[in-house]
Amino acid sequence: MSGTTTIARREIASYFNSPVAYIFIVAFLLSCGTLFFFFERFFAAGQATMRGYFALMPFVLSVLIPALTMRLWAEERRQGTYELLLTMPFGDGELVLGKYLAAMAVVSVAMALSLPVPLLASMFGRFDAGVIVSEYLGAMMMASAATAIGQAVSGASRNQISAFMATVLILLSLSLLSQATTWIELPLWLAGAVNWISLAYHFSSFARGVIDTRDVAYFALLTAGCLWVTTRLLSTGKWS
Amino acid sequence: MIEVSGLVKRYGSFAAVRGVSFTVDTGRIVGLLGPNGAGKTTIMKVLTGYHRPSEGCAILDGKDVVEDPIGVKSMVGYLPEGVPLYLDMTVTEYLGFIADARGMSGPGRKRSLDKAIDDCGLSTVAGVRMERLSKGFRQRVGLAQAILHDPAILILDEPTTGLDPNQILEIRSLILSLGARKTVILSTHILQEVEALCSEVLILNEGRIVAQGSAAQIAADMQGDERLECLVKGSGKAAAEALRLVPCVLSADPAGVAAPGVERLRVVAGHGDGDTAAEAVFDWAAANGAKLLEMRRERLSMEDIFVRLTGEESRR
Repeated sequence: MSGTTTIARREIASYFNSPVAYIFIVAFLLSCGTLFFFFERFFAAGQATMRGYFALMPFVLSVLIPALTMRLWAEERRQGTYELLLTMPFGDGELVLGKYLAAMAVVSVAMALSLPVPLLASMFGRFDAGVIVSEYLGAMMMASAATAIGQAVSGASRNQISAFMATVLILLSLSLLSQATTWIELPLWLAGAVNWISLAYHFSSFARGVIDTRDVAYFALLTAGCLWVTTRLLSTGKWS
Repeated sequence: MIEVSGLVKRYGSFAAVRGVSFTVDTGRIVGLLGPNGAGKTTIMKVLTGYHRPSEGCAILDGKDVVEDPIGVKSMVGYLPEGVPLYLDMTVTEYLGFIADARGMSGPGRKRSLDKAIDDCGLSTVAGVRMERLSKGFRQRVGLAQAILHDPAILILDEPTTGLDPNQILEIRSLILSLGARKTVILSTHILQEVEALCSEVLILNEGRIVAQGSAAQIAADMQGDERLECLVKGSGKAAAEALRLVPCVLSADPAGVAAPGVERLRVVAGHGDGDTAAEAVFDWAAANGAKLLEMRRERLSMEDIFVRLTGEESRR
């Protein structure tokens, strides 16, 4: 377990030693803020709700999380420090978990810094605090799954750019899938299946203020599954 | 102590190491020598648990690299080829991270850090970001990283590349002092380094051990033919023909014109026959009134032996 904290501490230091963390946080706040106030017309709508703010979250996270995760393994490979890490007495699980926690720490800082938006908005009307809590929980769960997916892709990539592009592609597809069911007429069972694997679909109930165990389980399983895949990628590298 | 037996490592269909066995006792320094692609680095990667063997096994102080990789990693200090470093960190931060990774804490951690920084001559750059360090300093940081936890086994992939002659001497004496108490395996291209440091040498080519023993022993075994180069005034061809009749001479050939009227002659004699061949050349010249302007014994250097050994192997 101490290996996990050692890795997490180093990764967090490296995020904040470079512009990556700051750019991520600023980009996150800006994109959520501008999209919300200008495109979702919060003031014109005249409703005391943050749903517009969170409706865009799947897309914002799909583009920004990959920027955070692309370096996790691809950069270690480029620098050659991959070999250093894998010859230190760390378990594969510790390495993967440590890196996941570090990326999530940066996401948490960004989320925490976005809190003033709902707080300020609450001055204009009576907001349902429960809904906002559920929305933040959903956003964190979705970020967690996206981070785990991004780490797995980075683990399979030789360079950061391809890791970034591939992760964006995967996350956007997973988010847009649920839209597809509204655009095309699909048999009910297929539409259900498509919705079930969609990130945005599971996020949407959180955004409505509903915490459903099925959605929690979906994100938790996706996170755990991708972290596990990453550890497998590390071990197969040793045998090939 | 390192015991490797029947080690095979394949990358896809390519076999980088093809059945290598050797043993290194504690207190010995063994050098791995070989051209690029001979399998030196692959053997080191298997010993450090970075790669798993395809066949055979490697046991370090009783721990198998496949069954107890974490146990092996804890007691091995490894300097990988190319010295990977986190360039965004300072020397102290980096070594601190390594100390944490090695599970060190308390006053022992501080003592080890100070000692490694001191031993590798890093005190002047301790607070410098590593992206600003010269190659020599980076190499020393890599070495400090490897010896930080006072490992029982040290595996060093080309430990002196990029260092200037003074630094090379410093690092060599550091390795020698460490080698008295530890098991050390190092790889190098520099043959003098092997002679200066190693009690034993393994020469590798195409994934196999082609020679094994102390440097002096291998040199004696490989010395082989002796060569003479002569400058003769007059016809080199006639000289060559006459010299071929001398029993110890393996071959004598004209090797071109050195200056107008002066020809070069190359004479090869068997192992240990250099003196006899040189005498024969002199006798021939004296008997025939030929004018010998120069006669030079070419001794096969370690480099030549190495090139020949590994070069011949690869043509087979």
